[in-house]
Amino acid sequence: MTAVDSPKANLSAETPPTRRPWGTWALALVIGFLCVTPFILVIVISFGQKIDGAGWAWDFTFANYQRFFIGALWPEEVTLLHLQRLYYALYYAVIASVLAVLTAFPFTYLLTRQSRRAQSIWLVFILASLSLSEVFIVMGWDVLLSNRSGLPMLFEVSGATDWLKETGWFEVLREWGLANPRNVKFKTSEFATVLTMSYLVWPYAVILLYPALSRLDPSLTEAARTMGAGPARVMSSVILPTVKLPLIGAVLLLFVFLLGSYVTVVVFAEPAKQTTAVAVYESVRGSTLDAPFGAAQAVILLVTAAAFLALAQYLTKRSEIR
Amino acid sequence: MGRTFGHIFMALSGLVLALPIIVVAGASLNGGRTMLFPPEDPNFARFVEFFVTETIWVQALQNSIIVAFGASTLAVLLAWPLAYILWARGSKASKVLAGLGSLPFALPPIVFGVGLGFLWAFTGNLGALWVGIVSHAALFLALPLVTISIGLQSIDRAHLDAAATMGATEAVTFRTVILPQTLPYSISGFFFALVLSFNEFIVMFFVSASAYATVTLQIFNSLRNGYTPTMAVAAVAFIVVSLAVFSAVARWGDLPRLMGADQSRN
Repeated sequence: MTAVDSPKANLSAETPPTRRPWGTWALALVIGFLCVTPFILVIVISFGQKIDGAGWAWDFTFANYQRFFIGALWPEEVTLLHLQRLYYALYYAVIASVLAVLTAFPFTYLLTRQSRRAQSIWLVFILASLSLSEVFIVMGWDVLLSNRSGLPMLFEVSGATDWLKETGWFEVLREWGLANPRNVKFKTSEFATVLTMSYLVWPYAVILLYPALSRLDPSLTEAARTMGAGPARVMSSVILPTVKLPLIGAVLLLFVFLLGSYVTVVVFAEPAKQTTAVAVYESVRGSTLDAPFGAAQAVILLVTAAAFLALAQYLTKRSEIR
Repeated sequence: MGRTFGHIFMALSGLVLALPIIVVAGASLNGGRTMLFPPEDPNFARFVEFFVTETIWVQALQNSIIVAFGASTLAVLLAWPLAYILWARGSKASKVLAGLGSLPFALPPIVFGVGLGFLWAFTGNLGALWVGIVSHAALFLALPLVTISIGLQSIDRAHLDAAATMGATEAVTFRTVILPQTLPYSISGFFFALVLSFNEFIVMFFVSASAYATVTLQIFNSLRNGYTPTMAVAAVAFIVVSLAVFSAVARWGDLPRLMGADQSRN
């Protein structure tokens, strides 16, 4: 969605600012309570302490953060398990968001060259798939990628599996963990995780790139074409420089969105390659029941997300100035 | 040549986008209780199950509808004064307030969910249905805020000046000029929040505390036991609702403009 700028209305000249200030205060109070206190609570509780069998208690200890970065048993022993989970969260999110933007960019460019009516129809379809719950998307890809139906079956029936075996590619796939002795397999694998994640954000990528690309002045590209530039040249010297910043901004936003994805990772990632979001869930509501440690992991997720959001905001601002 | 290639690329993208949806839709027609694609003995028995006979799903659907309508109404009611102050005053404080209101939508939902879980546990309301409504309203406040702001910016200054010249008070101007012109944008914001609330589950998971289930939550809870065609019916129902809602927005509102297209070109 587009950022909202507010042109200062000359309405304020007609309305004295002293009018009903309590209304504004009440609104601020409600928003503060609903939108800000949850985050503050997470931060405060992350310094708390777990009590065995009785939940947790207020405290001011850095033990939860120490546990995250170097493990609870430090200095005797260093555990990098939690850092590794954060690494996987970043790793999946980076690849999936870059992939989504790279494929959504040409699509959105072509979309903006369509008639207004055709654009509306495509947008309805894209918005519908954008709002589709992660549980449904995972369900669909699960059926598509599971061993007894979907793609592996299609590989087997169509003879693609045999062809792969003959050409030797099958061994390569086995090395990548994408095949069992008999057929290709996609669950569980990094491939399935990243594929589903980038599917998840692809419609978002289109929606994010849409404003920048639809404001692209067609006379610029026409001018370049008249002066004898080929399509590739027009793309690299006219279009890409104009949309470079929105493009990077979109990658960052999708990246932040994917940092917190949960169902996809639970279903498609190998047990050893789960992410921080899954660990937060496990700590707060799952088997371990350690709310303060869950909160600490959530804070780390929050800080990471906020840092990248700030960067995206900065890039968007810069692209608006130009 | 380039044109044809472009069309093929767009069609292919559309196909990949539709692929899991097609598979789920196909699986929902299964006569048996296993998720097969292509479906075996296709019929609509699972649809009857989901909408009529199985109490778990009927109850979950009811909860989903209550939460989604309640939350999106509340979100629009909260977003209106916020968007209005932002537009009419444009003060630093109102910008900060709007930014704070958009926080839950911008940051990872799992963090917001955990925080809301703590908050409602303190107030002792964890697990109440109205808590789910309020939580979703906070999460999706950003959507009507954006659409209503776009609507307010599109109001022709000349209309406001005319109203002022003819001696209309702010209340009258608001009722006769501002409200009618921003109505389509408010409705769009309402529908965006509605559809996303329908499909959201992680925040709902933390605030419901297993006291009740919405449809997505019910599916998420049975994730480990495997999928059934009845769940696929839920997916089909939800995508149909989304398509209907966004078609309505496109029909009665200006979807390309809402999405930020340049309006000078048609």
